[in-house]
Amino acid sequence: MAAGLAHSPSPQQRRVRRAALLWALIAAGFYFGFIVLTLVRASR
Amino acid sequence: MAEPLAHAVSHATEDHKPHGWRRWVYSTNHKDIGTMYLIFSCTMFFIGGGAAMLIRLELFKPGLQFFDPQFFNSLTTMHALIMIFGAVMPGWTGLANWMIPMQLGAPDMALPRLNNLSFWILPFAFTLLIGSFFVPGGAPAGGWTMYPPLVLQTGAAFPMLIFSIHLMGASSILGAINVIVTIMNMRAPSITLLRMPLFVWTWLITAYLLIAVMPVLAGAVTMLLTDHFFGTTFFTAAGGGDPVMFQHIFWFFGHPEVYILILPAFGIVSEIIPTFSRKPLFGYEAMVYATASIAFLSFIVWAHHMFTVGMPLAAQLFFMLTTMLIAVPTGVKVFNWTATMWKGSLSFEPPMLFALAFLFLFTIGGFSGLMLAIVPADYQYQDTYFVVAHFHYVLVPGAIFGMMAGVYYWLPKWTGHMYDMKLGTWHFWLSTIFVNVLFFPQHFLGLAGMPRRIPDYAVQFTDWNMVSSIGGFGFGLSQFLFVILIWKCVHGGEPAGNRAWEGAHGLEWELTSPPPFHSWTEPPSDAVIARGAEH
Repeated sequence: MAAGLAHSPSPQQRRVRRAALLWALIAAGFYFGFIVLTLVRASR
Repeated sequence: MAEPLAHAVSHATEDHKPHGWRRWVYSTNHKDIGTMYLIFSCTMFFIGGGAAMLIRLELFKPGLQFFDPQFFNSLTTMHALIMIFGAVMPGWTGLANWMIPMQLGAPDMALPRLNNLSFWILPFAFTLLIGSFFVPGGAPAGGWTMYPPLVLQTGAAFPMLIFSIHLMGASSILGAINVIVTIMNMRAPSITLLRMPLFVWTWLITAYLLIAVMPVLAGAVTMLLTDHFFGTTFFTAAGGGDPVMFQHIFWFFGHPEVYILILPAFGIVSEIIPTFSRKPLFGYEAMVYATASIAFLSFIVWAHHMFTVGMPLAAQLFFMLTTMLIAVPTGVKVFNWTATMWKGSLSFEPPMLFALAFLFLFTIGGFSGLMLAIVPADYQYQDTYFVVAHFHYVLVPGAIFGMMAGVYYWLPKWTGHMYDMKLGTWHFWLSTIFVNVLFFPQHFLGLAGMPRRIPDYAVQFTDWNMVSSIGGFGFGLSQFLFVILIWKCVHGGEPAGNRAWEGAHGLEWELTSPPPFHSWTEPPSDAVIARGAEH
């Protein structure tokens, strides 16, 4: 079990995770940015 | 000693494929998820097509035949939403799932669990959307464009519409992230960006478009939601809002969306024409740059959808000229496809037939688009059947034929069987003849002044409406041949070789047909790439 958890990701896995995180942040920023902007504007 | 060795051998060859419903519900395999996307897309194609048949039935004769106008408007609205978000977009994602890892020498999509999530969001989204037929007030009837203030009159279906759009958007964005991360990080080492197949390129650009514009749609529909339920007045003139602002925001999403629907078809046609011409694609790099140019231009043309709403002359000129500019990269593509065929050794199997029909008929849709781009002419065409004819030429013999061409091209690879060529050829000719009988007369109706989105019309429009409806029924019925062909191919047929088509190039043809459950567990060697990845 412990050995399984200690498995360190390969450089490719690290690249994939970094890229996924970056694009998730960009997409979420756009997505929630628009919605939050809407709500902020609405509350004024 | 012998036992562990036997164990190791069996591990090396077995697929580790889960069985029963778990295989599909918990799937993280790109091929299984691709298959689910394609089945979902096909189901939605028939549901949306059913709505289209009802529309054509009502329009067969003048006068109200079967439906009250409210229900008719629900049919047109739901037909569009189901076809765009349920049939075409998931269809492309299904093909992307199947083909991108195989074409890039990758074992799977980069984010397999996210892939599962992005698929399984869709059945919930469409249950909500289609379920809106059964709530008080009926399904949304204000058009797929959801213009306020009309859309704010929707009954209990309104929040269902908004929530289902949010879900579809989330699914598309997650799918797009997966495609980008896969393409940028999972390519076999020597497949550089400019050695990628065109289908992968067009999908990469589509994925960027999706991430850029789906949030805009989400923002727009959230504003509608707050206007409806929380007393805001974003789009209500009485409270200082501006209904036209919604149209600007919507079409800032809506025009790139058109290219989201069509760019992957460009990629598929760019794979098929070289294969059946037995020649490399003419101008590979020009095709890549043309695709990127089209995507860029798609962000600065949105207001051509609203010339008649009223805007300054300078804005009309700007949007007219940028729209016309799109003809340049599109022309590059049409030229390059034609030049690829020039002096090629052509053969006309079903994928090539559909690709050629795409080339001719999409170009007709492109030309009528140019006519609509001309501001003074648009004042006549706006909101008539001419517009309906235009975008159906782009989307049916464009996007749908492109998708069918892709299915006909890769079906032997997916199933390991060749399909019934005669049935495929019948499907092609019936579809092509009937699609023209269906949509070409709508140009005449529009030019004669028949408005769109009406259940009844003046008697002078009767003849061409009858012709159009006959074309519609013929086209709808022809599609059952496609389902029969796929069913037969999945269940048997002549074995397809690894390279199912003589002139096919690309890494996917280096795998067995059907490919193993986990393809490219080791990156392909340079020799395999050199053999397979030529354009």
